[in-house]
Amino acid sequence: MQRPPAPQTPPVYRTTDVYARVVAASFLALIVTAMAPASAQTYTGPTPAPRSTDAATLAAQGRAREVRERFVRGVAAEEHGDWSTAASEFTRVVALDPPEPKGSSARYDLALAQTHLGRDDAAVALLEEALHRDPRFAAAAANLVAVQLRRGDLAGARRAADQYLAFAPDSVLARYGRGLAALRAGDLVTARGDFRVLIDADPSYATAHYDLAVVELRAGRDDAARTELEHALALAPNYARASFALGTVLVRAGRRADARVAFDRCAHDAEDPALRALAIDLRDRL
Amino acid sequence: MKHFLRWVMAGVLALGACASAALGAEMLLDDRGAVAASSPPALLGPITESGRAGWDCAPEHAATARTANAAGLPHD
Repeated sequence: MQRPPAPQTPPVYRTTDVYARVVAASFLALIVTAMAPASAQTYTGPTPAPRSTDAATLAAQGRAREVRERFVRGVAAEEHGDWSTAASEFTRVVALDPPEPKGSSARYDLALAQTHLGRDDAAVALLEEALHRDPRFAAAAANLVAVQLRRGDLAGARRAADQYLAFAPDSVLARYGRGLAALRAGDLVTARGDFRVLIDADPSYATAHYDLAVVELRAGRDDAARTELEHALALAPNYARASFALGTVLVRAGRRADARVAFDRCAHDAEDPALRALAIDLRDRL
Repeated sequence: MKHFLRWVMAGVLALGACASAALGAEMLLDDRGAVAASSPPALLGPITESGRAGWDCAPEHAATARTANAAGLPHD
């Protein structure tokens, strides 16, 4: 005969046990809290003592440390927009001529400072030097294309973008840069191809549709341009420049009422006061 | 007479201004090159001493990205 199971009784704790546990837990929490700021204030491990007393080795170690420290200060200055300080730090790093990839990185960073200081010629020379040292330095290639486009050197921008695309054919930044350089230089075939590739790579990118529309406008293909502008506006309804361009296409097609709506939309969405004023003027004439 | 001439002169000037503005707008609508392309790409940011040695280099990631957002492409 089986005995019925004994009823489950909850464990009995003595009040003093509970108090002791609470006190112990609080004490542990206090210790952890007290240690947190202490660990934050702890310095990282000391620099290992030099294993050589050879003068050349010690000089090389000194140079490496100076490069490291100037990089830290230069990057911090660039992050705060202090381009003069950044330029002096990276000029010194370049003079120290560290091995790759530090040498090309220093030239890249110095170019960034120079272009913000309005010295685009110097920036271009530094970025070309960085790419000579490391021909697959994608960020340097991207900034070289951007600087050349900003200063209006379309041949330079095109040359840089061609080189960039040669080693980074899937880069949308390379494709965009070459498309813009080609469009501005009037090479509509290359520009059309690049913006189409860009749309295939990222169909949600409204600006590529807009740029393809600009290509078609320049080629006199208003219907194709209108289709691309409508795509762009479907993806980005507040895209003021696309509304403006659509308005010009609609005026030429004789659709003045639709054009008026497009200019009104542009006037509503434009952040650029000149574009807004122009859109208002054209809207009011229709 | 003087007043009359002044009024005539003001009217002629106003008409001229309107005509030139209208002509400017028409020329803009006819000029296919007047619609500008989008903005150039923004400059990529600084790279640290060890940035390109590891996987933590944002400018290199952007420069090789395959989508517009990851590359930081302009939206105007």
